[in-house]
Amino acid sequence: MCGIFGYTGGSRAATIVLEGLRKIEYRGYDSFGIAALGDTIRVSKRQGRIPEEGFDTWDLAGTVAIGHTRWATHGIPDDKNAHPHRDCTGKIAVVHNGIIENYAALKRDLIGRGHIFSSDTDTEIIAHLLEEAYEGDLLAAIQAVLPTLEGSYAILTLAEGDARIVAARSRSPLVLGIGDNTMFAASDMTPILEYTRRMIVLEDGDVATLTPAVVEIFHAGRRAERNEEFVQWSFEDVRKGGFRHFMLKEIFDQPAVFSDAIRALRKEELPGVVRDAGKVTIVACGTSYHAALVFKYLLEEQCRVPARVEIASEFRYFPPPPEGLVIGISQSGETADTIMALQLAKLRACPTLAIVNGVGSSLTRIADASLLMHAGPEISVAATKSFIAELAVFFHLVDIMKQGAWGHQLDSAHRAIEEALLLDLGPAVTCCRDAQNLFFVGRGAFYPIALEGALKMKEISYIHAEGYAAGEIKHGPFALLSPETPVVAICAPGETYGVMVSNIREMKARGTPLIILGEKDDRDLQEIADIFIPLPSAESIAGLLSATVILQLLAYHTADALGRNIDRPRNLAKSVTVE
Amino acid sequence: MQAVILAAGEGKRLRPLTKNRPKALIPVANNPIIDYPIQALLDCGIRDIIIVVGYRKEHVIRHLNRCDAPIEVVEQKQQLGTGDALRCAASLIREEFLVLPGDNIIDAPSISRIMAVQNSVLVKEHPHPSNFGVVMMDKEGVSCIIEKPEHAPSFTVSTGIYHLTPDFLPHLTENSLTDAVNGMIAKGGHLGVVMAEEWHDAVYPWDLLALNRKILRDISPLKSGSIDRTAVIRGPVRIGKGATISPFTVITGPAIIGNDAEIGSHCTIGPFVSIGDRVRVEPFTLLEHSLLMEDSAIGSHSRVTEAVIGEGSSFGDHTTVEPGVPLMEIEGTLMRGRFGCVVGDRVRADPLCIFQGALVGNDVRIRGGKMITGFDAFQDGVMVV
Repeated sequence: MCGIFGYTGGSRAATIVLEGLRKIEYRGYDSFGIAALGDTIRVSKRQGRIPEEGFDTWDLAGTVAIGHTRWATHGIPDDKNAHPHRDCTGKIAVVHNGIIENYAALKRDLIGRGHIFSSDTDTEIIAHLLEEAYEGDLLAAIQAVLPTLEGSYAILTLAEGDARIVAARSRSPLVLGIGDNTMFAASDMTPILEYTRRMIVLEDGDVATLTPAVVEIFHAGRRAERNEEFVQWSFEDVRKGGFRHFMLKEIFDQPAVFSDAIRALRKEELPGVVRDAGKVTIVACGTSYHAALVFKYLLEEQCRVPARVEIASEFRYFPPPPEGLVIGISQSGETADTIMALQLAKLRACPTLAIVNGVGSSLTRIADASLLMHAGPEISVAATKSFIAELAVFFHLVDIMKQGAWGHQLDSAHRAIEEALLLDLGPAVTCCRDAQNLFFVGRGAFYPIALEGALKMKEISYIHAEGYAAGEIKHGPFALLSPETPVVAICAPGETYGVMVSNIREMKARGTPLIILGEKDDRDLQEIADIFIPLPSAESIAGLLSATVILQLLAYHTADALGRNIDRPRNLAKSVTVE
Repeated sequence: MQAVILAAGEGKRLRPLTKNRPKALIPVANNPIIDYPIQALLDCGIRDIIIVVGYRKEHVIRHLNRCDAPIEVVEQKQQLGTGDALRCAASLIREEFLVLPGDNIIDAPSISRIMAVQNSVLVKEHPHPSNFGVVMMDKEGVSCIIEKPEHAPSFTVSTGIYHLTPDFLPHLTENSLTDAVNGMIAKGGHLGVVMAEEWHDAVYPWDLLALNRKILRDISPLKSGSIDRTAVIRGPVRIGKGATISPFTVITGPAIIGNDAEIGSHCTIGPFVSIGDRVRVEPFTLLEHSLLMEDSAIGSHSRVTEAVIGEGSSFGDHTTVEPGVPLMEIEGTLMRGRFGCVVGDRVRADPLCIFQGALVGNDVRIRGGKMITGFDAFQDGVMVV
């Protein structure tokens, strides 16, 4: 997913486009760029997020501009792959959202005809095709080029000698905004709403020309009329698409994230460093650390591979064993502590692997190899879908080490997430909402899940929550248990079940309210529990996933009941780029 | 022109399928029902669409987020009725508007007809009018609408689609939209009648099979995925991305096969079959007149006709599903329907089971070799041994 934005009007176009791009940054944030049309076309583009200040649009003169913010899925995000793209002469600029499926063939032809490409993107071919077709009328050129393109696109183009923005769409979103002697075009309404609420939604196959005063729309070569709408929503609403919070949206995205991640990972070749790994050290922070702990349990138990997990900021005190693989895991790929830790590992000549969500982020440039978690942009500060995607990566790795023995379970595991989304957590939320302190306990691979559940609860509801290995409760925390400290226990069938039940009974004797996640037909647990939440599936993988999702929802609904600012919890930032 | 789609209701008569999703999200020909009214509106150039959600609202919103069209969502907190649902959207209504049920199928020509007549209701003749609001007419137009009468005085029923103006909103004192409309007529308001072209509603779960046939009739062929060269594909068949069609399988259109579905070798599929994403059909199986939702699976050597199979359900090898005509009691009414089986989500049946006119709940587990008919396994979560 990428975002595009164009402006033509009376003001300095580049400044307005830069502001607009900030608003659609959620569609992608690994590089951005702007092209402005003055006497000539000038382009400025850069890798990374749009900086708060310091990006100078001073040399981008002109009152017409187009911009792009990129979320790379193919080709690394760097300065040269950032949009806008230009033709050989530099007189035509293009931004594009979508995928040109036949670009490889078109690119070969263009190179054969002497065009010189400066990027690896599919978009650049559009600029070169336009160069060949352009004879002073950009609209005519676009109409000549579009039939050769297969795939999805929303494009905005500029050409020297033509004062218009020419836009086209097919299977990618594109909206036009009509202002007071100004016109806008964007991937969605978000950046436009600030200026005007009069919108036109283009249809597939439409081509539009924008000048400050007039929009003209063409379909199949003929003039077409599109109704103008008056939009009343705020841009926050548009982005969340009806969900009250990004966190809830992202929680509900998880079944698709998991199954897409598994499918995408299977298509990729496994980096050699992983295949040869004898010992594994994983460094991570926060939520990623908990995902790594799950991986440790699975590696040791299922694959008999010795593994250790270190908090990235503590890693420097524990030098990795020589020749052992060091895996750094971070959603953004920019977490300062994790970057430091991988650098340290490299100094000790350990092979390194990065697992990240942001393509081409700093961590991937340091590591010998990298794997992508395919979660898509995550906006909510509290990580949810990236945790599920990290688990997908780890499950996939274990599956490979076990020669595909988990293949079948992985295929259907997303169903367990889907089912967890259907559960009614009302009574559990009421119980947690009134508590000052909460304990989350589990055993085996469910211990990290309990940790993660507690972290989510702390992060967004501000209730003091502790995650514990169930056996550790006796060694101290037991003193804290009382009827005022509810305990959330994950008690799935398996080798830990018997001892877990006896742990729970001990807690019950202290009068603590018990919220138990267990197999749905488990009568014993239903009797012990004050509030019983049935796990949709108790199989190993599906059980871990569904317990995770239930605890995320518990934290979300508790925070919501307390009226917390869920997407922006106090004092927290999405990625921690300082040590 | 604005449009308000009502998608907050559960659709109790369609249980077990509506346990985990509202009726509007039940997939027919691999698209949730709500996509059809949305598409009809978009085809008629209506862009200002408001959808009222309630039951399982997050799932509806998630689906709408995947649609390209910008749609406004409002929530009905308690499902009190269609009139109350419309009231939830009232603050967003600024001009003349259409009201549509989100769980019926409607075509674009009908929409463009009703767009032309202000203050009107879209009607259609139906052989079983007692399930709907029956429209009584006089010279002026509609005299009243009688909701689900036992003895219907006419075959003309309301599709639940109205073309109204903001002046109607003060009449929304009742929780039922029909009552509100009757109230407006009683106070001297006028309601015209417009005849619908194609309008279909699934009242009972087995009606989905007819709905599925209706939609499949108009699909256009599309071949994606990997299709073995020995496979035979006739008639309009849509095959999704990443789907696999193994050797010697014959697919007769109209049929639709979802993304990443796997069809084993020597299968006979179609006509009138919808197969959802990631469905697995094992070798030597015959499937016709059926609707398989996402992630379901059918074992090898099975024969499945007139089946609706919920998400994540799986049938073992040598399963037979054949039409039966059981006597059913649904929400207090007795009736007969002809179908093979309607199976909820995540049902697991071991090999050698026979289904004949069976309505099976969600999460049901059926041991091998059982014969299931009627309500044998209707309750959610039961185990049939």
